[in-house]
Amino acid sequence: MSLADLSRYEFARPASLDAACRLLSDREKKGARTVLLAGGTDFMVQVSQGGAAEGPLPLVLDVSRIKELACVSFDGTTLRIGAGVSYLELQRDPVVREYAPLVARMTQDIGGPTIQGRGTLGGNLATASPAADGVAAIAAYDPVIEVKSSRGTRKIPIAVLQTGYKQTSRAADEVIVAVEFRAPAHGSAWCWRKVGTRLAQAISKVAFAGVAEVHDGRVTRVGFAMASVAATTALLPNTRELVRLTPLAQLTAAAVDAAVASDVSPQDDVRSTRDYRMHTAKAVVRGFLRDLGAPV
Amino acid sequence: MVDAKKARETREPVVGENVVRVDGAAKVTGGARYVDDIPPMPGELHGATVRSRVPRGILRAIAFDPSFDWSDVTVVTAKDVPDNVVQLIVDDQPVLAAERINHMYEPVVLLACSDKAKLARAYAAVTLDIEPLPAVFDMEESLAAETVIWGEANVQNRYLITKGAADTDESEAAIDVAIAACEVVVRGSYSTHHQEQLYIEPNGMIAWWDEAGAHATGSLQCPFYVHKAFKRCFHLEPEQIHITQAVTGGGFGGKEEYPSLIALHAALLAKKSGRPVRIIYDRVEDIEATTKRHPSRSWIESGCDRDGTLRALKMRVMMDAGAYVTLSPVVLSRGVLHAGGCYRWADVRIEGIGVATNTPPNGAFRGFGAPQTIWAIERHLDAVARQLGLDAGELKVRNMLVEGDTTSTSQTLRGSVGGTECVERAFEASDYLARRRAGPSVLGRKARGLGCAVFMHGGGFTGSGERMLKGKVAVDLLAGGRLEIRSGSTDIGQGTETVFAQIAADAAGIPFEHVSVAVPSTTHVPDSGPTVASRTVMVVGAIVERAAKELAARVEASRRPGETFAAAGDRLLAKEGPQSALVQYEPPAWVNWDDKKYKGDAYPVYAWMCDVAEVEVDLDTFEVKVLNFWSAADVGKAIHPLMCKGQLEGGSLQAIGWALSEEVVWKAGAIVNPRMTNYIIPTALDAPPFETFLVEAPYEHGPSGGAKGIGELPMDGGAPAVAAAVEHATGLIINHLPLTPERLFAAWLNSEAAQ
Ligand SMILES: Cc1cc2nc3c(=O)[nH]c(=O)nc-3n(C[C@H](O)[C@H](O)[C@H](O)COP(=O)(O)OP(=O)(O)OC[C@H]3O[C@@H](n4cnc5c(N)ncnc54)[C@H](O)[C@@H]3O)c2cc1C
Repeated sequence: MSLADLSRYEFARPASLDAACRLLSDREKKGARTVLLAGGTDFMVQVSQGGAAEGPLPLVLDVSRIKELACVSFDGTTLRIGAGVSYLELQRDPVVREYAPLVARMTQDIGGPTIQGRGTLGGNLATASPAADGVAAIAAYDPVIEVKSSRGTRKIPIAVLQTGYKQTSRAADEVIVAVEFRAPAHGSAWCWRKVGTRLAQAISKVAFAGVAEVHDGRVTRVGFAMASVAATTALLPNTRELVRLTPLAQLTAAAVDAAVASDVSPQDDVRSTRDYRMHTAKAVVRGFLRDLGAPV
Repeated sequence: MVDAKKARETREPVVGENVVRVDGAAKVTGGARYVDDIPPMPGELHGATVRSRVPRGILRAIAFDPSFDWSDVTVVTAKDVPDNVVQLIVDDQPVLAAERINHMYEPVVLLACSDKAKLARAYAAVTLDIEPLPAVFDMEESLAAETVIWGEANVQNRYLITKGAADTDESEAAIDVAIAACEVVVRGSYSTHHQEQLYIEPNGMIAWWDEAGAHATGSLQCPFYVHKAFKRCFHLEPEQIHITQAVTGGGFGGKEEYPSLIALHAALLAKKSGRPVRIIYDRVEDIEATTKRHPSRSWIESGCDRDGTLRALKMRVMMDAGAYVTLSPVVLSRGVLHAGGCYRWADVRIEGIGVATNTPPNGAFRGFGAPQTIWAIERHLDAVARQLGLDAGELKVRNMLVEGDTTSTSQTLRGSVGGTECVERAFEASDYLARRRAGPSVLGRKARGLGCAVFMHGGGFTGSGERMLKGKVAVDLLAGGRLEIRSGSTDIGQGTETVFAQIAADAAGIPFEHVSVAVPSTTHVPDSGPTVASRTVMVVGAIVERAAKELAARVEASRRPGETFAAAGDRLLAKEGPQSALVQYEPPAWVNWDDKKYKGDAYPVYAWMCDVAEVEVDLDTFEVKVLNFWSAADVGKAIHPLMCKGQLEGGSLQAIGWALSEEVVWKAGAIVNPRMTNYIIPTALDAPPFETFLVEAPYEHGPSGGAKGIGELPMDGGAPAVAAAVEHATGLIINHLPLTPERLFAAWLNSEAAQ
């Protein structure tokens, strides 16, 4: 594909989620390719970076107007964010700001205002880049991802959704509908720290999301996630365990560093180096723990 | 009835006023037509360039996939090029590679087709058979010349500047003796990296042929460079070539020499196909193939007194020209001429060497060699201050050139030397000295520091350049007492049209709105010389002023009592036919330059500037944020103060980007990051608040009361000021650009290990 091919794409905008699922499954059976389109901010880059197209182009199926993907709701326990809600809407949503302030804050660091106005969590999750800021932010809440196809609905835990570099366990005919998670206790500590190549329009070198419920110097619920330090969004299981099992006052910098080091496997690439990423990963985790009162 | 003479006398002068830009409305409303906005001409084709994709080798064969339908694709190879040379300084660069491949993005085959999608497939159906040869990417490896890739030993150019004790045949031994005799000797090495201009509008050209000859229009800085290139390549008469500038979305030097090549390519395809051909580079192709700032390496050894009085300077500067010469000799020349900085040295030996590598030719970029050497000398003075226990700012002030002093080329500064005032203004606004003395401020994991750079930048062509160039400008009298300026100088976003109109309006004594500027087209404007070298306002503006004055005087002389200027002009036109004034530039008579000895008046005058940067360094992540940027610049005379500040602030931001985040990443001769997503220029959020002061020490030969050239000046100081501020904040001494967080982190690891 190249941008010169753009005018040759067929385009469909189904009226409902069911209609979208039907269309997807019909085409799937015929062996015809389909790509979903939400904000288009990853899609357009994929098109312009592709070479000259051979064979038929996929049908572009626009999911951005499907109402099931467009809602944000909170039932007192669980926060549900539609996969098609734009970052800008998340930034302004009172429920998100109140119960998942980390997510609202993260959206300010996505690209720039124009990208924030179009990009969605659904697109971020489906592209599954290890640098995805949105995925890192929600992963700190241990969410499930709801997907739907004409075969039914599944709720996939984030750890199960991610299967490899830019790969997910979502089937080709499944639409990502929403993200759901149990909101932390109201007013719990959180941290969002993006270390990018500059202050806007930046891909993360390292981005860290942390949430913690703290009682009597102990962390009773913890969620950590990190972008750009592994093939998928890193969930830092060893670091989480260390923090859950050790009173904050007894945490040491060396122990935290060792745990983080065991949880990440950063690489050299065009944006940064392995060593810098490793150093920064440790530093940002310690920064959050210091804010919680740990002597690290 | 209004007394016309009186009306003219009471007309408000516009020089010094922030008049509305003449190109502003069209640009902000989208009405301005950049090359790719020009509607397609009948039968027009899109053109594309197949490149070598091998850094060095021998082209054995070109294969065209026989299963592809080539019937509606025009193909051009070296065989179709009448004279296969891009005319510039040295005839080493082919328009299309015929046999030798010298860099990764060497153009080899041109294709044109009316269907863009098919053109993309045709591109994929061409295969180049290139036998690879060992390539050289490193300057020192090139100098060692074990693999010869250019000329006899890879060296394209050498310059030597000597002064004082070193002004002998044995200059090296002499300077060594002079330095050894000094109380304090400091040595260091410094380096700078590539920089991409990253103008908003990528390069592009449309070319066609008709009975009048060859035409090209597009994004460019120097229409007469393209004209010369056409004359050479197609062996045409000058009047058969018609080169016209389209609205141009930035250049910064990146559209100085390269557009000649694109225009030739489009014209070759147009000639063969008999159709107009449009070649528009996308961002990736533009970053990969077009010119960049020359990387440099400098070695400095200097001697001074214990009290900080500088004495002797020995410096060696090496620049990476890339695969072909293009403008490198001139870039290196400006580099060595600025290498001593704005300081008083009694004994000097500065050596410049330009070497070839198998990378795309480096070329013009705002500053033109000076930012590289000023980085080195400013960082070196920071090192001297460190060694002496002095503040770098105080050391710089103590040794700054003032009127009557002589530069490294033994030029005596004859006036318009506003450096001291610049330093005073910038230091005062930033409270530099007190805050430096107070030391860095550390809050949690963030440290703040301040640093300064002081520098001067020569205006106009180097040495005897303007004398040889003989730039010309014409001003025509139009109906209604209006004037039109015809000049080859281009407005590429910097505001030339507006400033020229201001200069002419005040010179002729007519309203600003009565002056227009003709579209630069080689068919109907005289050659004013290229739009480069901070010369447009200072040099070309000066002849605009003279031409407007001359023409107005002619109208004035024929004016009857009570008659308006417009009426007098109309009568003159009716009676004597078209009226215009053609003026050629003459440098001041005293300008005396010896090209052999590299001695004398390198530039008739210098603009001055002092930058103070305040940075905050995150001690965990080593991210550097520029919190404040104060600067004061001696511009001679600010004709349009707002645009003048705009140039200074934009240039400083470009320098900050070069210092902190911009980096061309190479892998075996290929650019790994040819996109805006990974070649990291600063965004608006990364830009510090700028506080900029204009100092006016008029230059007697500058237009409108003494304007000097300032386009390049601000590019010189941002990087050393930021590096000095980072050092103040963290103690980390960085002498090699860029100061990315990764490099600062590595430097911090080294300093930890050393302790
Ligand atoms: C200039 C720029 C800056 C950017 N900055 C950032 C940044 O700072 N941080 C960051 O993380 N990302 C960034 N991105 C990437 C991009 O904006 C995000 O990944 C965004 O979340 C993608 O969402 P979208 O709706 O635009 O996806 P689209 O481009 O519409 O789709 C992306 C992919 O997801 C699939 N898809 C979309 N919706 C669904 C769905 N509901 N179910 C199943 N599959 C679906 C599509 O088929 C496609 O494969 C940037 C992109 C650009 C162009």
